[in-house]
Amino acid sequence: MNRLWWAQVKAVIRLEFKKTLFARRGLWIYVLAALPVFLFIAFAVAFGTQQHRAEALARRSEKLLTYRDLISIKTGMSKDTVLSLLGKPPVADHWVEERPTGPGSTEKIEHQMYHYSDGQNDLYVNFSNNKVDNVSLTGFDDPARSSIMFAGIFQFFFLRLAVFFGCLGIFMNLFRGEVLDRSLHFYFLAPVRREVLMAGKFIAGLLATCTIFVTSEILQTCAFLWHFTARQQDLYLYHNHGLEHAAIYIGVTVLACIGYGAFFLVAGMVFRNPIAPAAIALIWEGINPFLPNILKQISIIYYLKSLCPVDVPVDPGTPPILALLISNGEPVSAPFAILGILLVAAIALYISSIQVRRMEVNYTTE
Amino acid sequence: MNDRITFEDVSKFYGEILGVNRVNLSIPPGITSLVGPNGSGKTTLMNLMTGLVRPSRGQIQVLGYRTDDSENLFKIVGYSTQFDAFPKGLTGFEFLYSYLRLSGQDSSMCERLAWRAIERVNLTEAAHRKVASYSKGMRQRIRLSQALAHDPKVLVLDEPLNGLDPLARAEMIALFRAAAAEGCYVIISSHILHEVDIISDQVVMLSNGYVVAEGNIQSVRGEIQEHPTQIMIRCTRPRELAAKMLESNYAIEISIHKDEHGLLLKTRDTDRFYLAMNGMAMNGIEIESIAPADDDALSVYEYLIGNEEVAR
Repeated sequence: MNRLWWAQVKAVIRLEFKKTLFARRGLWIYVLAALPVFLFIAFAVAFGTQQHRAEALARRSEKLLTYRDLISIKTGMSKDTVLSLLGKPPVADHWVEERPTGPGSTEKIEHQMYHYSDGQNDLYVNFSNNKVDNVSLTGFDDPARSSIMFAGIFQFFFLRLAVFFGCLGIFMNLFRGEVLDRSLHFYFLAPVRREVLMAGKFIAGLLATCTIFVTSEILQTCAFLWHFTARQQDLYLYHNHGLEHAAIYIGVTVLACIGYGAFFLVAGMVFRNPIAPAAIALIWEGINPFLPNILKQISIIYYLKSLCPVDVPVDPGTPPILALLISNGEPVSAPFAILGILLVAAIALYISSIQVRRMEVNYTTE
Repeated sequence: MNDRITFEDVSKFYGEILGVNRVNLSIPPGITSLVGPNGSGKTTLMNLMTGLVRPSRGQIQVLGYRTDDSENLFKIVGYSTQFDAFPKGLTGFEFLYSYLRLSGQDSSMCERLAWRAIERVNLTEAAHRKVASYSKGMRQRIRLSQALAHDPKVLVLDEPLNGLDPLARAEMIALFRAAAAEGCYVIISSHILHEVDIISDQVVMLSNGYVVAEGNIQSVRGEIQEHPTQIMIRCTRPRELAAKMLESNYAIEISIHKDEHGLLLKTRDTDRFYLAMNGMAMNGIEIESIAPADDDALSVYEYLIGNEEVAR
């Protein structure tokens, strides 16, 4: 690229970046990007409330309990054993059940529920006639375990919906929006190669989407880690690949913006109605796991999923079709995945460059 | 030819709708007016000339540049369109400055050119107001300044005087004349024919997408044989002059002016008529003025296309 072209690209970026980032009709993209952040904030707030309550409960316990104490309680133990191991419960409840045993006769069963906590985990012990009937241990996850939830939200909401539709809204309007606003001639009357104009617009769109979604990704990570203790955060970030994962998520977000951006740029030039290509792309990306391997490669989500650092585990009871959606059966290597996305983007940009040369200002003066 | 704007057998169809058909033109420097009613193909011709639309057939070159070579074409072409839309949120100055920056020039140069263009169209005071708040006339002027900003060799102006007040119209016409005098190619479209007479060095007359005539208005008029030339003569004894004219067989129809100080005469042989007039003037009839009455754009257009089109 010679110096003139670069100067022209920068001039286009200056105009387009501001316009794209602060477009009133793009407000919904900010909402979409902010949704997972709000979700993690809500989760952190709920977690914090729960933890405060658990800590208060632990303080009210007769004994200072540990996780080891809590897991020592087993079904079938007597109430006295439980009391000797854990002490008097801070919260207890009891009720009597009249269970029919035959015509006109009932049996009285005494139920009790003890609630203990070590400040991190809640233990619910249910007794029937002074024997442990059921034990339920609810733990507050550590960051490493919560990262699976993070991965699920990243893969199934953030990439497939937020970034997908965000790129649709921004890149499709780079040229189509100008046609709707009847202002495309402003660019077409300037001494700029159409390809240079397209490159400038694409980079501006990319900068705008990356600003929005990378910021969202960073805020999500902050919100996700917010409620953990400093020690847990330190452990997760520096000793459990947390920082590495955060960097990979940002990289995947940027690659998603490149891939979807290039696709929607060309779609905005070829199609007048954005609903059709958006629906086709959404379905195509959705059915990607069911496609033969060769067709899988003509997609963006296939490569993005391969790059995600944390796999979302499939529960044994998950229906096979859903399991196929969740799992990434045949992931490709990171270099191949990055090359794949860049290749898909390069093909889309090449088609865009042909298309932009063919574009005409057909809107009328009326 | 690298010193002309040329159309070679150019046609443009919008689907099944005809824009222009089989246009062959060679436009020299000076002010050329594209004349025709709404829908005659003026804007299509201008859009073709500037590459905003591509011809369905034929070739166009602007001083040797192809119209799809936007990078080079718009270094020498400035186009003031009729499209009344601007990039959102820009002030008049920002609009021009941004446009100039697209050419890749440095910031200070673009700033200087933008201010100069703004001054040329008298918009200095409104330069920092949003274009969206401009009146129709101001928007027209900022569009003109965009076309003029980079000192183009070719100025393409679509209905440039629309929305301007009389003073601004006079200023703009002076601006176009000055540009033409410097050797620029000024292409103006207009459907107001009396304006065309004032401005143009040559005209291209369009009707329903076809070029029906091109060239200097007088020479175009001279080529219209089926309509006799009308000449207005202001003189002291019009009836006596009329009788002599009819005797000489050069006049085919004469009507006396209401004020009895002139007559309107129709002739098919203008050259011989003027020779005869010299003789009659010597016979004591005091002749104040002799002037063609139908070599203006309106008359020529009426002859070529008809009253209905002109009235539209």
